[in-house]
Amino acid sequence: MEKICAALESQFPCREAVISSLAELIGDSQEAYPPAIYIFGHSGTGKTSLTNSFLQQCQKQQKVRIAQLNAIECYTTKIMIENVLDALEAKQQSADNMLEFVEQLRCLHGQETQGFLIAIDNAERLRDMDANVLPVLLRLQQLTSLNLCVLLLSQLPFEKYYNKTGLSEIITLHLAQYNKAETLRILSSDFAQVRQELLQQQSHQQQRLAICDEAMTPDFYSNYLNLFLSVFYKACRDVPELRLTARKCFGIYLEPVLDGSVECTDVSRLWRHIAGPLRAALTQIYMRIEKSGETEIEDQSVRKLAQSLELPYYGKYLLIAAFLASHNSAKQDKRLFVKHHGKQRKRMQTVNARAKNAEKMSTTLGPKSFSIDRLLAIFYAILDEKVGLTCNLLSQISTLVHLKLLAFVSGEQNIMDGSAKLQCTVGLEFVLYIGKVVGFNVRQYLCDFM
Amino acid sequence: MDPTISVSKGCFVYKNGATRANRKSPAKRKNAVQASEVKSSLLGKELTSQPLYVAYTECWQQLHSHIAQLQAESNARTLEQLEMFVTGAGEGSRDILPTAALLTGINQPDHLKQFESFTRHLHARQAARVCVLQSRDCATLKAAVESMVYNLMETLPADEPDDEDDEDERERDCERKRLRRSQCTMKQLNLWYDNNFGGDGVKRRVLVVILPDFECFSASVLQDLILILSAQCARLPFVLVLGVATAITAVHSTLPCHVSSKIKLRVFQTQPAPTGLNELIDKVLLSPKYAFHLSGKALKFLTHIFLYYDFSIQGFIQGFKYCLMEHYFAGNAFALCTNYNKALGRIQQLTHDDMETIRRLSSFRPYVEQINDCKRIIAVLTDDDYLKKKLPQLLRDCLLYFMLFRSCLEFFTELVGDLPRCPLGKLRRELYVNCLNKPITLQAEYKECWQMLGFMAKDEFIAKVSKAIACTEQFLTEQILPLELGDACSAEMRTELHTLKKLLDDVELATMESHAVAIESTCHLTDARPLGDLTQVASRQELKEQLLQRSKHEKQQSLSEYARALHKVLEHIETHLVLTHLRPLQNAPPLHELFVFSDISTVRRNIIGAPRAALHTALNNPHFYMQCKCCELQDQTQLVSTMPDLSVVYKLHLECGRMINLFDWLQAFRSVLRAGDERDELESNQEQVDPQVQARFTRAVAELQFLGYIKMSKRKTDHATRLTW
Repeated sequence: MEKICAALESQFPCREAVISSLAELIGDSQEAYPPAIYIFGHSGTGKTSLTNSFLQQCQKQQKVRIAQLNAIECYTTKIMIENVLDALEAKQQSADNMLEFVEQLRCLHGQETQGFLIAIDNAERLRDMDANVLPVLLRLQQLTSLNLCVLLLSQLPFEKYYNKTGLSEIITLHLAQYNKAETLRILSSDFAQVRQELLQQQSHQQQRLAICDEAMTPDFYSNYLNLFLSVFYKACRDVPELRLTARKCFGIYLEPVLDGSVECTDVSRLWRHIAGPLRAALTQIYMRIEKSGETEIEDQSVRKLAQSLELPYYGKYLLIAAFLASHNSAKQDKRLFVKHHGKQRKRMQTVNARAKNAEKMSTTLGPKSFSIDRLLAIFYAILDEKVGLTCNLLSQISTLVHLKLLAFVSGEQNIMDGSAKLQCTVGLEFVLYIGKVVGFNVRQYLCDFM
Repeated sequence: MDPTISVSKGCFVYKNGATRANRKSPAKRKNAVQASEVKSSLLGKELTSQPLYVAYTECWQQLHSHIAQLQAESNARTLEQLEMFVTGAGEGSRDILPTAALLTGINQPDHLKQFESFTRHLHARQAARVCVLQSRDCATLKAAVESMVYNLMETLPADEPDDEDDEDERERDCERKRLRRSQCTMKQLNLWYDNNFGGDGVKRRVLVVILPDFECFSASVLQDLILILSAQCARLPFVLVLGVATAITAVHSTLPCHVSSKIKLRVFQTQPAPTGLNELIDKVLLSPKYAFHLSGKALKFLTHIFLYYDFSIQGFIQGFKYCLMEHYFAGNAFALCTNYNKALGRIQQLTHDDMETIRRLSSFRPYVEQINDCKRIIAVLTDDDYLKKKLPQLLRDCLLYFMLFRSCLEFFTELVGDLPRCPLGKLRRELYVNCLNKPITLQAEYKECWQMLGFMAKDEFIAKVSKAIACTEQFLTEQILPLELGDACSAEMRTELHTLKKLLDDVELATMESHAVAIESTCHLTDARPLGDLTQVASRQELKEQLLQRSKHEKQQSLSEYARALHKVLEHIETHLVLTHLRPLQNAPPLHELFVFSDISTVRRNIIGAPRAALHTALNNPHFYMQCKCCELQDQTQLVSTMPDLSVVYKLHLECGRMINLFDWLQAFRSVLRAGDERDELESNQEQVDPQVQARFTRAVAELQFLGYIKMSKRKTDHATRLTW
């Protein structure tokens, strides 16, 4: 048991408490295991990797069989059962239902194995599986009368699992998020590795190698990490993500030092250098876009997006028509698109109503649904030229749906009888730019801007 | 029964025992044989041996291989990068799923081909196992994983070592039978991978999963799939390739951060579709290599479909192929549409009918009219042999015309393509269309261009024209010279260019003198200034006069030496290049119809489907399709009782508003039928509706509903709602 703890503590700093309580619970295969343990905590707190290495250590040092699986992969109960049986080296590796599963497990009696550990990642998925899966797993020890423990890992607290039939009690372990000091400690723990990699990178340039060798001290690195965390800690506490970004930005941070333009002790100048790149990196956190040589990352503004999107000419008009149909009420169509729509009488009532609803602009309320007929009618109204209603035109609508610029709201199955409803999913700004490309003033046709 | 020539007469599917029997034996050779058999059996020997078919296949084969080569070249760079990424991903750390996002453009069906070629390429290099996973196979996570695993394990790359003997094949067959869909799980894949590539000596192959239509996947399936792949990627070297049609933001909006943090995204950009089209048109369709040409209108029509509707290069090529077929299948005379020597050989094969086809061409008439010898006219019109003797010269003229046209177009594009605002268009295809449609010199845009050229600064103008000359010369040496008749064409062009160069030299020499004139004129102007001082003007009339005078004066000044030389150059270009060679189609030499396809109305009818219009015609005027004698209509709105019930009901429903009362409709229907049968006059005043009529009516209404024109209303009893407008 101590050996397990010792092996893990160096690997997972700041998790001593959790490791020791885990070790107390399942560290010794001679003792009886608890039936089930529930481990939860946010992403990036080390649940999965900690549990996995704990189990592997157990397997290495004691006569224990382990099974590690991911509930996402188990889209049917059968697959989960097979995976577990396979990992636990049961004789027969297939079972159709939970009853047979339990039977199979019972056959494992009488071998010299002292314990069985089953870890299931993303355990919240178990709730969506067959109704008997979760209760059986929680009482598996009782049902099989083996020294067996099920570890469930998830991001949710266990309260979210309660259902009508109720579940048996479970031991919960919470992995709290790392605080700033702990994060710093974890990030700086891979200093040696980073240094090694850097030295290797610079090995072909003697001068830079020398500077690098000299500058890379633990102090320098932790200084950098301090700066880094001051920007990032508010936005992201996911340790792997932070580690990745920190590595990426460290090259930029080190660059002026390697050039020889800035001393490695001059923290404020270094900060001025790195502040911009850090802020840029902050906007791209979690996006994981890798920079390749030629294609630089375009800025993600709507304008650029609208300009870079290549749509056929009529496709653009259809999109505009869809937007107009989504953001004007059908009552207004006649006024907007028919030339001689007659004069609109201004009544006190309507004026009042409009004043009251000033803040309820339909462009801000979100899109309404419309039928395909209305879409085509508006399309023909806003297009100057005369176009035949051909297959090519109609297939444009489905292309737009495929591109997720339009979406079916209802009646996707019965497009034929005209009851299918669509809505436009792009925003006003986007459509304004599209309109500008084809030379069409969209605002002119929106009730909100009249 | 006579053998079928037209495909439209009927298509019959019959089970071919041969394919099944052949499955076990090496498939490739048999497939090729079968393909050729099928082709000949579909069209019949009578057709395939015709000269027109030979000419057509020859032409299409050339074009097709050229197109394929061009596309392969233009895709090569992206694919190479992608391949580097994929193969490179096999090494390196394996805790994050490497992902490539390929920004393909909005036409998804087109890009499937691209991915297929990528797959073939990877398989050929034996670098990876590839699975193309389409969204239609992935409605649920289960289906997605199963089809992914199945494809990875089962797809045998076509060019896996060819020397497998039958035993191996049979073994594989057994294996195939053993593997059921439900057995395809990640566990199975793991086992399979360990068996096949797990050994130390074996090169680890990357498993590439391609999602060609990223946008069509349901978000939850995609997220789970990525989570599974990333969980597995410590054991199996997965690489994910996403075909993204819109923009990279689509990826980020579909994947939440807990998923996107599992992947490592690299973005690749492919060539945008319009660029691909321009390249295709410039290099293949407008290449002087091919005798077949599209008329300006036809080319415009095809590009219109592309730019306005679908952005599909594949569709464009198919449309072009259709034009090609339509052109050649007009008759054996069109077999002459090849290069010169082959055409000479084919002239002798022409029959009397073919000669008549040639005589009926619309450009033949002006040709006859310009002959002033009576005997020769008669000979041309009646004597086949005489015409055959004449033909080589005519064909030669035509071919030369097209070559010269093309060379001049090169010059002209360079000259006017980059003027501000591009009045005539900046692309070669636009200019081609403009020049071929109408006499270009009469167009307002042309005049605007010429004006702009006249205003240009000297060194700019000289640079432009000399660049245009250089381009044309390069074009001549590279493209025209290797062809037959190329010598004649390039010789003619070169003399033109030579004189042009001389004139350009004049422009250059004109510098000094124009300077002198300018100085002189400025001196002159200083004299004139006090005279024309505008402040001293007394009346408006006077001011106007003075302004007029001044502008005249300035015009005279501008006609300096330089300007005169410049205008000479422009004039030369206009008379010798534009007017003589960039002639529109109506002024083209006789028999140009043999080389140019211009019948767009047929093509339009056949390649653009208009379902609503066709349905309306069918229901409104059934005679149009049925060609029966009984229901010929004088007037579109006419109602005849002999028409099918469905169309009577349809025509009646056109007269109604949004809601249709079923009873009124029935009465109207009945009265139409009654009008046809005078003998039922007696019963007509009966109130009771004949049950047979009612049944026919009900049936017709049900059919109309089935066609989607009406729907029974739920709000109002006994009413139907119209669904069309």
